[in-house]
Amino acid sequence: MKYLVVALFGILLGAAGAGAVLYYNPLTAREATPSGSPDKTLHYGLPEDALQFLAGARVTLPSWPHGEDALWEETIASSALLAIVLRDEQGAPAAVATRLMAASRDTDFLLKGALVSDYWLLTVPDEGTMFLRADTNLWPFLKDTLVPVWYLGRPWHGPTDIRPTTGPGADGVGVMLGGTGRFAGVAGTVVENYTLTALDRASQQVAATGEIDLHGLNPVVASGD
Amino acid sequence: MKTAFWLGLLVGFCGVLGAAHFYPWVAPSRLPSHTSVVANGGRAERFLIRLPADRIDAIGDQKSGLRAGVGATAVALPAELEVRPLLVEHFKVRDTAGNVIGLAARHWSNTSAGPTTAWSLLIPSRGALLLTAPGEARGALDTALRGAGFVPGKAWIGELRVGLGAADKDAGLIAAGTDEFSGLHGHYSETWTVTGVSDSSELRGTIELDTVTFQGS
Repeated sequence: MKYLVVALFGILLGAAGAGAVLYYNPLTAREATPSGSPDKTLHYGLPEDALQFLAGARVTLPSWPHGEDALWEETIASSALLAIVLRDEQGAPAAVATRLMAASRDTDFLLKGALVSDYWLLTVPDEGTMFLRADTNLWPFLKDTLVPVWYLGRPWHGPTDIRPTTGPGADGVGVMLGGTGRFAGVAGTVVENYTLTALDRASQQVAATGEIDLHGLNPVVASGD
Repeated sequence: MKTAFWLGLLVGFCGVLGAAHFYPWVAPSRLPSHTSVVANGGRAERFLIRLPADRIDAIGDQKSGLRAGVGATAVALPAELEVRPLLVEHFKVRDTAGNVIGLAARHWSNTSAGPTTAWSLLIPSRGALLLTAPGEARGALDTALRGAGFVPGKAWIGELRVGLGAADKDAGLIAAGTDEFSGLHGHYSETWTVTGVSDSSELRGTIELDTVTFQGS
């Protein structure tokens, strides 16, 4: 009996140590490191630029209760849809994007973090549409901000900058997989950054400003010289 | 005693780390794929959208016609984008058995090379597909409906089949895919079957996306 108690104590201590390793694990806090400056940067503010947001019945988000229009079907219950207006450097609406998201099977709390497969269909009127694929890691945001502030009631020392893109491209960038119009045949990359500007449980207020940096939109055309 | 402690410690430590790494934290619910083999190789699969049940919303200008949405499904664009040729539609997607299996976004826009259409299909258990095609003329569905006797503002019942975007079977391209759809190429067609328009201009019918995919280049 004494051995069992000691072993159980050891198990609990070991589990707590592993929990601490997971919490401070740098492998799950990796960020994209794009090379060079972006060819195009598009900006958004939430919630003001959101045209539509729907989340699956199994998705829990702060300050967002599920309505009757939730994605309740079992196959899409861990998915979400966000339609958003994107703005240029001057703040003028320049594009519309649909973001289809689903919890990723690659989620791995030891090596990768809590991943969401993020698919952007981004249309710039008069230019065309691009299809972007990114792995978005929610773990740093959940661990450092949402859980302590929203659920544990600790003070928030915001604004908080978050760089959620972690793949699937080299250097942790998202990739452009295809497009139409001007973006047909272009193989660019994408990185998203956002700043959480408000997070207050008492007033149920969450706000953010963000940007997506698009790289490689202007491929060099070989000259005949 | 010491051995029991250290053994317990090791089990607890490795157990939690092992679970963090190996446990399938995300396991999307999957239904059997309704695919068939086509002559000369390839795999055919139809994705179905039922209107109005599967329409999530539509975002576009008024020139986009009935598809720009009415009532709860209509979403307004900022004034600066309202004047640009753009129509964004969101749907739930079903398999041929009628089960909802994913989400879809359809973006229509005009470019210097003419109108274009792009579909993003997300099936969480399988991956995502990008379908692209030359776009239909603006208001093409309304034009076809008027040809079938539809009068704007009045209810209409009938059956009209219209190919939009990828009207012909080879016109639409499977432009990209991820996960299970990665590495596939092929073509698709898009057919709208409208069986009615309500007093409030709500479309009833189905959209069929018929894909034929091949492995490799």
